[in-house]
Amino acid sequence: MTAIDEKLYDCDATLTDTQVLDFCKNGYLLLEGVVPDEVNRKSVAHCDGDSFYEPTSILQQDWFLEHVICNRAAAGAVRSLLGADFHLPILMSNHRFTAPGPAQGWHVDGNFKFGPALNNLQVFYYPQDTPLEMGPTQVMPGSHLVRNKARFMAHLDGIRGMVSTTAPAGSIFITAYQIWHRRGPASGEGLRNLLKYFYWRTEPPVRDWVVEEDFDFATVEYSPSFNASGEQFRMDVKVAEMFLWLCGKHDQFQNLGGQSWPLPGHRNDLPYGLPEGLGL
Amino acid sequence: MTAAQREIADRLAAALAAGTLTVEDLRQGMEEVARSPGARQDILYLQAANTSPTAGVVGMMLIEDGAPVETPADADVWPYQTVLEAVNDGWRIISFPNMALLSVSEDDPHGLGFEFILERWS
Repeated sequence: MTAIDEKLYDCDATLTDTQVLDFCKNGYLLLEGVVPDEVNRKSVAHCDGDSFYEPTSILQQDWFLEHVICNRAAAGAVRSLLGADFHLPILMSNHRFTAPGPAQGWHVDGNFKFGPALNNLQVFYYPQDTPLEMGPTQVMPGSHLVRNKARFMAHLDGIRGMVSTTAPAGSIFITAYQIWHRRGPASGEGLRNLLKYFYWRTEPPVRDWVVEEDFDFATVEYSPSFNASGEQFRMDVKVAEMFLWLCGKHDQFQNLGGQSWPLPGHRNDLPYGLPEGLGL
Repeated sequence: MTAAQREIADRLAAALAAGTLTVEDLRQGMEEVARSPGARQDILYLQAANTSPTAGVVGMMLIEDGAPVETPADADVWPYQTVLEAVNDGWRIISFPNMALLSVSEDDPHGLGFEFILERWS
């Protein structure tokens, strides 16, 4: 790991092709229990001492920078998705919530941009155990590819396929900024901290994560696990476009329609329309 | 008519049928009806996978007795799996999916499913 300067950072990429593609499908990645207990305790204590909704002072703590912001698993995933020399967070938010309470409304955070580009990541850290009873954040897998506006979502409640990010203390989850999310209903009692911060890309995208030798752009499955909003195969196309953007091959992306790449199928040849040289 | 109002009407009807209804009973019953709480509109939003009322429901939100009701996290236990099931249970569709909003872009999916809004009175 190398600190480039105060705000830029680099480390080894840890995600594989398949994991990066899964991020394109889901729009989030949950890393359970990756922060040591001692750091979790210090983080909770710090938030008790700085209960402002933006306790940015925690970013001045070396132990927090080392074990949370530059956490090996989390930073390795961020490095995989944002490339080398990514920009570190400069603002900390805390969604500090006292349970019990009803669910928050579904929303996308302000200043979102829908599209295949991934130039930043919003990351969440639970310093305490956050079971279902404590209202963990709920996310809608794949919704980062489905346009919406917070003001158009206020009447939504149950969504088939949504995921509650229940997690033990020390868990970090990484999201595409525009993913639909909300605080889930909480039936328990107590205080829940949820620290939220942001990383930015500073280098053009390139496939420099952990490359799988047998990863085949022609036959890999681009279909997301859930598709509540798009026409048939439309989400496959969206996922493939995002993945190629991350590979630095967006200029080669094409969708020639019908049964052409990237649609799934039992073919007797390469998919028609498969861009050349993707694995290079 | 609310359940409370129906109960008053049934009581008056029974007294009339028995030949025991007095003018005073009738006036009192009418005053009770006037004082009783009014009926409330329950509202059910159902987002379906396509425009058909028989399509699977992918989202729901219920307002009952004047307050939102928490939707179970497990979609398989939602009270209605299709819009038609809700209609067959007494809900009345008051708004059908707005096609204009769904054709904004052929390439970019928008929003959650195809929205039906239903009502009933309780």
